[in-house]
Amino acid sequence: MASQDRLTPTLLHPTTTAPLLKVRNLSVSYDRQEVVHDVGFELGRGKSLALIGESGSGKSTIARALLRLLPGGAAASGHVEFGGQDVLALPERRFRPLRGRAIGFVPQDPGNALNPVRKIGVQAMEAAALTGETDAAIRKALILETFAQVGLDNPQRVYDSYPHQLSGGMLQRVLIGLAVLPRPALLVADEPTSALDVTIQKRILDLLSRLQQDLDISLLLITHDLAIAAERTDGLVVLKNGSVQEAGRTSAVFSSPASAYARKLHADVPALNPDRYVKLRDPSLHRHEGGQAPKIEVSAVTKTFAVDGKVLTAVDNVSFTVPAGTTHALVGESGSGKTTTIRLLLGLDEPDSGKISVAGERVSGRSQQSLRSVWRHLQLVYQNPFTSLDPTWTVERLVREPVDRFRIGTPLERSEQVREALANVGLGEHLLTRKPGALSGGQRQRVAIARSLVLKPDVIVLDEPTSALDVSVQADIVEVLLTLQARLGLTYIFVSHDLALVRQLAHTVSVMRRGSVVEQGSVADIFENPQHAYTASLLESIPSGISATRPLVQPKQRRVARQEQIA
Amino acid sequence: MSFVSNARSRSLGSGGLLAGFHVPATVALSLLIVAIVLAWSVLPGLFTSYSPVVGVPADKLLGPSALHWFGTDHLGRDVYARVVYGTASSVSSALIAVVIGVVVGGLIGLISGFLGGWVDVVFARLVDVLLAIPKFLLAVIVVTAIGFETINAAIATGVSAVAIFARVTRAEVIKTRQATFVEAAYLSGGSRWFILWRHVLPNASRSVLPLAVLQFGESILVIASLAFLGYGDPPPASDWGLLISIGKDYLKWPWLVYAPAFVTILTVLSVNRISRWLRKTD
Amino acid sequence: MSNAYLTYAAKRLGQAVVVILLAYIFTFVVVSILPGDPVTSVLRNPQNGFTEEEIAEIIAAQGLDKPIIVQLWNALSGFLTGDLGMSMRSNRPVSTLIAEVLPSTLILASAGLAVALVLAMLVAYGTRFVPKKYGQGLLRGFPSLFLSVPNFVIGLMLIHIFGFQLGLFRVINPDSFWATLFAAIALGIPVSAQIAEVLIANLDREAEQEYAAVARSRGIGQARLFATHLLKPASLPVVTVVALTIGELLGGSLITETVFGRTGIGSLVQRSVSTQDLPVLQAVVSLGAVVFVLVNLIADLLYPLLDPRVKIIGGRKRSPTTADETAIGATKAVTP
Repeated sequence: MASQDRLTPTLLHPTTTAPLLKVRNLSVSYDRQEVVHDVGFELGRGKSLALIGESGSGKSTIARALLRLLPGGAAASGHVEFGGQDVLALPERRFRPLRGRAIGFVPQDPGNALNPVRKIGVQAMEAAALTGETDAAIRKALILETFAQVGLDNPQRVYDSYPHQLSGGMLQRVLIGLAVLPRPALLVADEPTSALDVTIQKRILDLLSRLQQDLDISLLLITHDLAIAAERTDGLVVLKNGSVQEAGRTSAVFSSPASAYARKLHADVPALNPDRYVKLRDPSLHRHEGGQAPKIEVSAVTKTFAVDGKVLTAVDNVSFTVPAGTTHALVGESGSGKTTTIRLLLGLDEPDSGKISVAGERVSGRSQQSLRSVWRHLQLVYQNPFTSLDPTWTVERLVREPVDRFRIGTPLERSEQVREALANVGLGEHLLTRKPGALSGGQRQRVAIARSLVLKPDVIVLDEPTSALDVSVQADIVEVLLTLQARLGLTYIFVSHDLALVRQLAHTVSVMRRGSVVEQGSVADIFENPQHAYTASLLESIPSGISATRPLVQPKQRRVARQEQIA
Repeated sequence: MSFVSNARSRSLGSGGLLAGFHVPATVALSLLIVAIVLAWSVLPGLFTSYSPVVGVPADKLLGPSALHWFGTDHLGRDVYARVVYGTASSVSSALIAVVIGVVVGGLIGLISGFLGGWVDVVFARLVDVLLAIPKFLLAVIVVTAIGFETINAAIATGVSAVAIFARVTRAEVIKTRQATFVEAAYLSGGSRWFILWRHVLPNASRSVLPLAVLQFGESILVIASLAFLGYGDPPPASDWGLLISIGKDYLKWPWLVYAPAFVTILTVLSVNRISRWLRKTD
Repeated sequence: MSNAYLTYAAKRLGQAVVVILLAYIFTFVVVSILPGDPVTSVLRNPQNGFTEEEIAEIIAAQGLDKPIIVQLWNALSGFLTGDLGMSMRSNRPVSTLIAEVLPSTLILASAGLAVALVLAMLVAYGTRFVPKKYGQGLLRGFPSLFLSVPNFVIGLMLIHIFGFQLGLFRVINPDSFWATLFAAIALGIPVSAQIAEVLIANLDREAEQEYAAVARSRGIGQARLFATHLLKPASLPVVTVVALTIGELLGGSLITETVFGRTGIGSLVQRSVSTQDLPVLQAVVSLGAVVFVLVNLIADLLYPLLDPRVKIIGGRKRSPTTADETAIGATKAVTP
């Protein structure tokens, strides 16, 4: 772990100077509905603090309230002392000079954070103007230097580009550069990496930590990831439904959480609990050791698409087999071909070459009509439960649809099967008449799982089934899935970008990159002894939440090294 | 960790349709106005005791008063009564226009969006042609072709609205067809036609409803314009547009224009407000 | 000018030609299904006072004795070579009749468009600067109000207030400056409501984008945010919307000319409708389609050059933003 956070010994002792940021009794309401209640915390100069919580915890609202960038209709009350003055009480005219100059902001989604119709250079000039430098040529030089400093290879090219011409990782570097360029005292980073791929996440976080140290900036990091917070910050504030659950020094909160919520949060983060489901995953009676024909066989499958006149190989000579009753994970970042692979497996796309069979039946090369008989035993759970359920249908109709369409049993038996499937995923019958719009994300995904279960299939393909959900909901869903596997002997294909999650629940794994499998084997082998450099770098990107391995004192660097690759 | 998830989470919509609807004051007022206008068209006799056709010559061109809310015209007829009795024709013709637009346009959009391929190409060009001819000119030549009557003006207005409904329905169908839940329905064993009727149509039509309401208001305006130019039923019919057209020759007595114009504007404004609200609550 | 752009341009041009031809055929068919025989209703109308020889001559000249498909072919080839045929009523070339009245309508329509653009920009941009308590709601209400007013009512109100009450102009002299100005206002207001509606929606959407908040986090004030960040992305899609309103301007001028007593294409259509002068109607409607298609073609070709967000892929315009949606939004909100 090459992180270079400051964890100097001085941090371990209370500082004598007043904190840079002091928040007291902060409440925020949208249209008279209070979403942040009486929140308070402090952040010292040059220190870092994480606000951590799940969706709806109010963490981003707090960040916006500090910058006074709340949308219309929102009102903040309480005290936000910054550098000794109460900024909430300042008139907009007096507060505005602080934005950018004293408080920098790094947004969540770099893809939307720059004006799409203006070149990056023009927008960078806005940040450079905050330095008070009057000479435009010097301002431009400052920008190019900053771009180089944040690890952008070709600063001039970036300067002349439109935002859509750069990747997400590069854009986030631009945004971080623009935020630190005027040398603010405080940097507010609102989930700066959640829209990025895992390996890029780590590089961006490293960059933030390094700049914070080099430039002596205080960092307020907003995140949903406890492991990241633990790894990168000095202090932690745990939020739930707009209230502080627990706050304190990171090491203390992390190693011995006092509140029930912080304990649960800690227990639900896959990276911190690799062996949480071992008993559920490997019940002794369900160990299938060889000898048996594999449930799923994918051999030498290739699929190309013609995009814009160019041929794109989405899946390149991919093979794997899955024994019955086990979970095989397909792991990779965006563009690795994992989604295309499962579409081929389900017969939704036709491979150019190669063979796919499920439970002895061949999937590839079939007509739509004969695919139906395959789908009878092979079901899919989609990534996003907000789009995979027809919003005009009730839960009962949704779960019942497969048994109705495949005409299984009598109508009465079908109703019984629907109830059973819902009970299996832990949903009460009172939800039967609801529509998806009246359900939470976790409930929706349970409905989607119930729909895939109702046919009593042998194989369920799970396409990132928890990536749209909070960690605590994810933990519930994973538990449901593993319990069902143990009870019904289901075979899973589990697609994910989250290696920590895969380590918790899968038996075997294929690591994919740019359409090919770079490495495959049992989870234990791959995670303990990765053979391929890419697998190793993926593993390294898992935040460990442990900061003890870091050297306590880092020599101050004059300039940030530029050895990093362009994202 | 409990297996049964929390039942209270965001419990919207469980109490039936109306529980989730918060009707703003302006929308409530708009609904009231539209209700009154509909009542006028069904039972005009309930709202006025004057005759819309026979006037009292001695009372001609009187200003608005407690006795004659909208004043009287050059033949001594009560303008309020003429407006109320003219409502049926103005409203029903707008409804006919909307039905033509929704049914024909919706069907074209549904078929071309769902089938795609050459069917889509053919319909797309047809819709392009209908869009290319300025709408009002299109309505004028259609009404010229089939004759000057209010019902024909309604048909002409409906024809000129077909293209928009076709285009919007097609876009919605394509959007819905590519939705994840439609693919999920295929995996659940649904046939093409089942999915078209049970998944695609209900979802695509959700955004067609506000458009249909909007089109109702617009049709009132187009039909009024056609009546204004004399392409609807001739007097003594009292369509709103015709009333305004007659009033324009008596600008010294401006209520003859302003009273029917006021009713037209208020109705269309209310209808548009309802459409906007439907679009938002969707 | 990339290869992809040229492919796209060629494809759009081809589509435009096809649509114009089909529009011509379509109007021909609609006009031909007139109930009753136009020959009897127009030529044998005693008011027109044609002799039998003249009638025979006209029938022969117009080719009305030939089968309908031959008539269509003749008309279409005439149309392609710029020959719009002869008026049945006055027996003069249709192109001459149109050329006589076209300047007046062009003046009205372009003045109307100017009014519409200026008014729409004032209203929409105003919503960014007028605070809520000082009547921002009024500005926001402008589009929905004026989309609900028939434009002949606006015309009549202007005549009543400014002509009758204030005596600024007289309908007897419809080509005077004031009369033309107020006619342009009557024509432009409903169109401006459409443009303003899209513009306001775009501005609101852009202001809610993350980049606006991030720009503000760099200390940018509201006025500069509007001028340097929101104005361009919000206004660019309006190019497409303005092109779509050309149809409204043409249709609206028909009514406005009637209300203000102007001669122009509108009055020509009115006269041709009442006398069932088919060749004139056919020509005007298809010319309307030609203008509409060409203006929209120009807008479509221009737009990818103006907006860096739009990419041309495989001969099709791909927009990562909602430019296309706003165009649909504009067709949703149309006035006669």
